[in-house]
Amino acid sequence: MISTDTIQHFTISIIVVNRAGALSRITGLFSKRGYNIDTLTVGPMAERPGYSRLILASSGDEATKAQIIKQLRKLVDVAEAKTI
Amino acid sequence: MKGVRFEMNGAAITVETLIAHGVTDVFGYPGGTVLNLYDELYGNSDRITHRLSCHEQGAAHAADAYARVTGRVGVVIATSGPGATNLVTGIATAYLDSTPMIAITGNVPTTLMGKDAFQEVDTTGITMPITKHNFLVKDVDQLEETLCEAFRIARSGRPGPVLVDIPKDVQVNEADFRGGQPLPDIPTPTANQQCLEEAAALINASERPYIYAGGGVVISGAEDLLRQFAESLDAPVGLSMMGLTAFDSEHPLYLGMTGMHGLPESSKMHAEADLIIGIGVRFSDRATGDTKRYRANTKILHIDIDDVEVDKNVASTASVLGDLKEILSSLIGMLDQRERPEWKGRAKKVRDEWGRAVMDYKAQDEHSFTPRRIIKTVRAHATDEMVVVTDVGQHQMWVAQHYGFKVPRTLATSGGLGTMGFGMGGAVGACVAKGGARTLLFTGDGSFHMNMAEFATAVRYGLPIIVIVIDNSVLGMVRQWQTLFFGERYSQTTLERPTDYVKLAEALGGSGYMVSDLAGLEKALNGAFASDIPTIIDCKIDSDEMVFPMIPAGGSFEDMIVERN
Repeated sequence: MISTDTIQHFTISIIVVNRAGALSRITGLFSKRGYNIDTLTVGPMAERPGYSRLILASSGDEATKAQIIKQLRKLVDVAEAKTI
Repeated sequence: MKGVRFEMNGAAITVETLIAHGVTDVFGYPGGTVLNLYDELYGNSDRITHRLSCHEQGAAHAADAYARVTGRVGVVIATSGPGATNLVTGIATAYLDSTPMIAITGNVPTTLMGKDAFQEVDTTGITMPITKHNFLVKDVDQLEETLCEAFRIARSGRPGPVLVDIPKDVQVNEADFRGGQPLPDIPTPTANQQCLEEAAALINASERPYIYAGGGVVISGAEDLLRQFAESLDAPVGLSMMGLTAFDSEHPLYLGMTGMHGLPESSKMHAEADLIIGIGVRFSDRATGDTKRYRANTKILHIDIDDVEVDKNVASTASVLGDLKEILSSLIGMLDQRERPEWKGRAKKVRDEWGRAVMDYKAQDEHSFTPRRIIKTVRAHATDEMVVVTDVGQHQMWVAQHYGFKVPRTLATSGGLGTMGFGMGGAVGACVAKGGARTLLFTGDGSFHMNMAEFATAVRYGLPIIVIVIDNSVLGMVRQWQTLFFGERYSQTTLERPTDYVKLAEALGGSGYMVSDLAGLEKALNGAFASDIPTIIDCKIDSDEMVFPMIPAGGSFEDMIVERN
């Protein structure tokens, strides 16, 4: 694992099932684990009905970034999470 | 019933789906928004047995302990509002210890939701951070598949609690029922070959490997493979508290529990290892102490099913993800057979040097009534298969250190959340899970007072539970910290309660003993084991007993305290 304390800014693309509470699970994860949300936009996906895409800007060191992605992927309603 | 479709109301769909999932026992407490569900349970009492607790928290701990000792999904039912909020501690307890559990709550009719109706709370909102997943079912057409999905999520991969909130009208409305058949488990990814090879290379290059195994081994059922793995490596094994029962405590490679209150040889060798092999563990702060010092002079191999645990608390040198059984059986074939007499011999040296730490702190002579002797005396009466439940605090640590477990899943204890009050409800669930077999509960006078009403539940269902209260008249673990770190300022930890446990037990329909020496305990145990009614044995011990060794929070193995200054 690459360990560095350097804070970086990164953007994450998340595809989430359109279900009540799905956005709340994602923002709840960020507050529960102490991750930052710098900006957040969300909207339905025309090419994938029933799903929404979230674009989320966050910041943290390399280890935090890796954890955020893994924690997001663990959520049942999240179909995909990756940095872009 | 497979393939048959017919109309049923939501309550019937719920009960039929539980039965289709092999659920034979549920715990819970009725109320306004689960009346329909309870009516359905009433009509199906020959197929599914509901046991009524005194408080929803007790029912949640019962379902949790039921799952811990069987590995099957435990089920708890509660009404909306206070019923649901009373489950919260129980659900969080299950979440922190990865217990498969389904919590079913009623809620106000969908037409009243959001209007602060009587006994309405946002149950899914409240439980979101403490469940693996949760559902609010607003349409009866989705109820069956939601329940099946809930079971699948609860038991697949790293297990956890799942809550399903079912508004009253969804229980009343009708839908097609398709048999409620279980879905296949969510598949666990197969271990990556390159990761296995890296792991084997690390292990084969290690001179002083230390196996640090945890609750994941018990969940996976990998105890036998862990033993084979340790034997072929000839490496010592330390367990986290959640790992207890994963390794035979009398095995020559076993060092004992490791961590904050771990045995000296286990914690010291943990610190001296050149490779720590973490198996089904999450490197909790209670096991590692200061993580910087923890990993300073060692390599770390992390083997687990949950990839978020890798590099979460402690950065690993290498890791393997997947089911422990599969990983361990692959690795065993890749290991160089080694013998490590010198490294293993180190355990004895540490034990000789630090052995006094595990002696009874307040023992004046061989007759002193100390916690370790109480536990050893009870152990001598128990079989290896008997299930032990504990509450949380000093007594829990003494049991973890000294009981000597030999059979997997014979301990139910709240590890991650450290829930005082877990014990009595947990003992009910464990005893039911074992078909009403003798069950032991070790508790403290602080923990027991939190949920002792569930003793009445044990009486009501004729459960032969023996409650051993390690009674020091104080909140011992907090007092210990006040003694060591707060200049003996005993703020709110001196209980001074005149509780008569014998009268209490008798008032609730059980029997009780009060003992203050080993001869008395022996006599009480003879009486308790000869009887089938729930029994309390109140063991009066010194208020200043402490749990040693102790590594202060955030400390390291070299900070181990072994006696009071």
